[in-house]
Amino acid sequence: MDTGVSGGGDEKAEFDPSEITYVSYGGEHHLPLIMNLVDQELSEPYSIFTYRYFVYLWPQLSFLAFHKEKCVGTVVCKMGEHRSTYRGYIAMLVVVKPYRGKGIATELVSRSIRVMQESGCEEVTLEAEVTNKGALALYGRLGFIRAKRLFRYYLNGVDAFRLKLLFPQPYIHPSLLMEAHEDSIRRSSSDTIEVSH
Amino acid sequence: MAAAEASIFSGSGDNSVWTDVSPLLQAACNGLQDGELIHGDNFNLYAAMSALEIMDPKMDSGMIGRYYSVDEAIDGGAAPIPISFDRTVDVQCTIDIMDHLLACEATWHKGHSLAQTVFSCIYLLRPERTTSHALLHSYSSVIRATCKAVISVVSDARTHEEEDLFTMMYGLNLNGEDEKCLSILNAVEETISRQLRACRALSARRKVLEDIEPLQNNPMLEEGYCRAILARLRFRKHFYHVLMCLKRPQGRGLQLARKHVASCISELKAIRELSGQHTACGGQTISEDRTTASGRQPVGFDASLNARLSAPTPPRSIKILSWSEAIEYFLKLLQDLDIISSCSLENSLDCVLHFVVQFQKSQPDLVARAHLQRLLLQDGKLFGREAIFSVISKAATLPEVVKNHDIEKMECVIQLGQLVINLLRILCANSAWQRRKLGKILQDWRVTYIQLELALRSKFGEPSGTPSGENICMNILKQLLVWVEEKVYWIASRFLMLGFELELYSTSEYGMVYWYIYVVSVKLVEKLHHRISISNRVKCRGKKKRVPGKDATRDIQFSPTVLFLQSHICLAEGLTMMLAALRNEKMILESPTPFNSDQERFFQHFELLQKAGIPDHNSYQSFEGSTKNASLSMLAMYNHFKDAQRIAKEVKSSFSDDPERLSELRRIEQVAEHNSVALSLLCRVGDALDSSLKLSFEFSHHPHFATAVVRRS
Repeated sequence: MDTGVSGGGDEKAEFDPSEITYVSYGGEHHLPLIMNLVDQELSEPYSIFTYRYFVYLWPQLSFLAFHKEKCVGTVVCKMGEHRSTYRGYIAMLVVVKPYRGKGIATELVSRSIRVMQESGCEEVTLEAEVTNKGALALYGRLGFIRAKRLFRYYLNGVDAFRLKLLFPQPYIHPSLLMEAHEDSIRRSSSDTIEVSH
Repeated sequence: MAAAEASIFSGSGDNSVWTDVSPLLQAACNGLQDGELIHGDNFNLYAAMSALEIMDPKMDSGMIGRYYSVDEAIDGGAAPIPISFDRTVDVQCTIDIMDHLLACEATWHKGHSLAQTVFSCIYLLRPERTTSHALLHSYSSVIRATCKAVISVVSDARTHEEEDLFTMMYGLNLNGEDEKCLSILNAVEETISRQLRACRALSARRKVLEDIEPLQNNPMLEEGYCRAILARLRFRKHFYHVLMCLKRPQGRGLQLARKHVASCISELKAIRELSGQHTACGGQTISEDRTTASGRQPVGFDASLNARLSAPTPPRSIKILSWSEAIEYFLKLLQDLDIISSCSLENSLDCVLHFVVQFQKSQPDLVARAHLQRLLLQDGKLFGREAIFSVISKAATLPEVVKNHDIEKMECVIQLGQLVINLLRILCANSAWQRRKLGKILQDWRVTYIQLELALRSKFGEPSGTPSGENICMNILKQLLVWVEEKVYWIASRFLMLGFELELYSTSEYGMVYWYIYVVSVKLVEKLHHRISISNRVKCRGKKKRVPGKDATRDIQFSPTVLFLQSHICLAEGLTMMLAALRNEKMILESPTPFNSDQERFFQHFELLQKAGIPDHNSYQSFEGSTKNASLSMLAMYNHFKDAQRIAKEVKSSFSDDPERLSELRRIEQVAEHNSVALSLLCRVGDALDSSLKLSFEFSHHPHFATAVVRRS
């Protein structure tokens, strides 16, 4: 879906990274904070249903970053079974402009990814605009690869990358994988778009 | 709601009845506390994302609409006929409408819905209204016929890409008498030509030969307007002809299409010139966003009217391309259609594959690519002329006798034919989608290979009724197997290279990618070499050797195609080793990633290849094994880049009449040269790299092979 972590412009907040506290989604009182952040920083409008869908079903995967009572960043995710893999999905990641570039986004995402790993996810995925250099660099440093390019994924005609992180698995010989995937060769080969706008 | 109010809205639906649900919503609001949620089982993420908040202008497109229906808009005077009773203004506005429609059409081609673009034109939505206005009527008729033709070719292509949105018509009526549209257009063109002749005669003080009413009132502007309109009408006429010519089966209309393309291009350029657009002098033009040559807003367009027709969920508003962008788009489209029309119908499969790959380098859009696909594949035949088995026989250089053989009817051979057709279709798709499909079909090709192998083995085991017959069948199968393997490696190679074009690899992954490209290319050359040697053996069998003592195998070793690929192999190997050496000697530092390692990323990038057994052994360990001992000093002794340079130079003479291959070889030489120099520099510099110098890898000379660049930091 969306990541807003690059740029930031001129006004930078002065703070020490240790002053940032990270909190797991704790309930309804956090929802307006998340919605305001996302509304403010990201271009896509989301209805309230979309937010509730994520934070109600997977509260343990959403985190907020606070600097002295002020909410400065958030990450919203989900996880579940997708075509016989259990995988996590990063739906929204935002840090307010004056606080960017200091590792807050990385910390938010990492916390979520750790929960996903502990919950048994095999991989984590998200989409990012090909022009979103900040996001691509961030996820690249965390070990995500650009698995696919999605032509004109966004309404404004911009392409997206599907980014994927694969957790280390017990080794399976490729020929066994081929047998397991024989069915999927036969099945329809069109890709499902995770989220459509 | 009162009955009177209800009737206002009845125009928008057929059997819809409106009810006021405010009390119900109020009760619902009171019934739930903050934070309470009703979750329906089938209310999934898709439903959540499709939901919209009423009256939020970002989501509720009805908020920005002025009229509720087309009829209401017409009643409100949004699309007057005539546009103005002042004939000069009427002509000006007509030109604006023509220009805006061109911009809408280009926007549609670029991936937006027809309803929000071309059919945001109220005149097009009610074609019967324009019959009294010759210009508007003729222009809209040809636009509808054109849209219909374009939808038809894109539907035929059936690539099921994301661009599926393109063909959705949502109940818009595109039917009309297409054949008539050209005669209507010609009639109007004729009239305006006569008007132009008349006004020129007048200004030259010559006698006016015929009594004809001028186009509009202002004699000073008459010539300009006549020429502006004529150029636009002629462009539409020729463009429609291009589409009709390209539609003709078996490529029969290609030559004529090229003539019409040339006319289109000259009319577009005339349109641009006549509008006084001085792009070269960099003068301040009216807003660059303008969708008309004049800069005025066109009369008669409203994108929100189709809101209920356009999509399953209310559409977001879109931005129409500017007029100059639209012209650029059509110029590029016409150039692409010209290239397609220049494709030789005699081409072998290899030539066709090469043609398509080259064509795709200019990043053609959907409409052009759909035309290419339709030209290549009709009725399951290449160019609609040659059956696919015949195409494969020639490509695999199977012996003539195969024509009378039952092998064509074998299940696995039929499947192979399907794979080839599917491959051609995929290669015409946009590169992002194409790469994904190429990765997926590798397994299909592998399965067919296995089936051919099984068929061959079963022939081995059969009692030899007709020994010669069985031998022929076995030889054919053997040759097919070699050819199929070669194609599999070709597909794998293309899959890997496209990753660079699509920017899927990060710098830290280049090493493993070049290694994989190296491994796959070596196999490809091996199979190609094998095929060429078999075909040469077959050729020489029947011929008398013209030059006594000349060895057939020596010819094969120097086959230009093989050498061409060999230069790529050396380059790939050189890059693999250089990157590995730099890593081993800590000259490029990569921080470890917290959640996984290179092994996972290797597996992810090459999973589809691994599943298809390309190559057969456990590749990450092979990659590690091949590269762990790489060092700069070792590379100083054995320089793959020098080899690449040498081979590229040598083989150039064999491609003297092939400008594309020549420029490719030149690029290979450049990459090899620059990397060689960088390598020597890095060997000398050693540890000093950290402090004063910065190393990066850039695609300055070749889209797939990177050049190492050392700069002062």
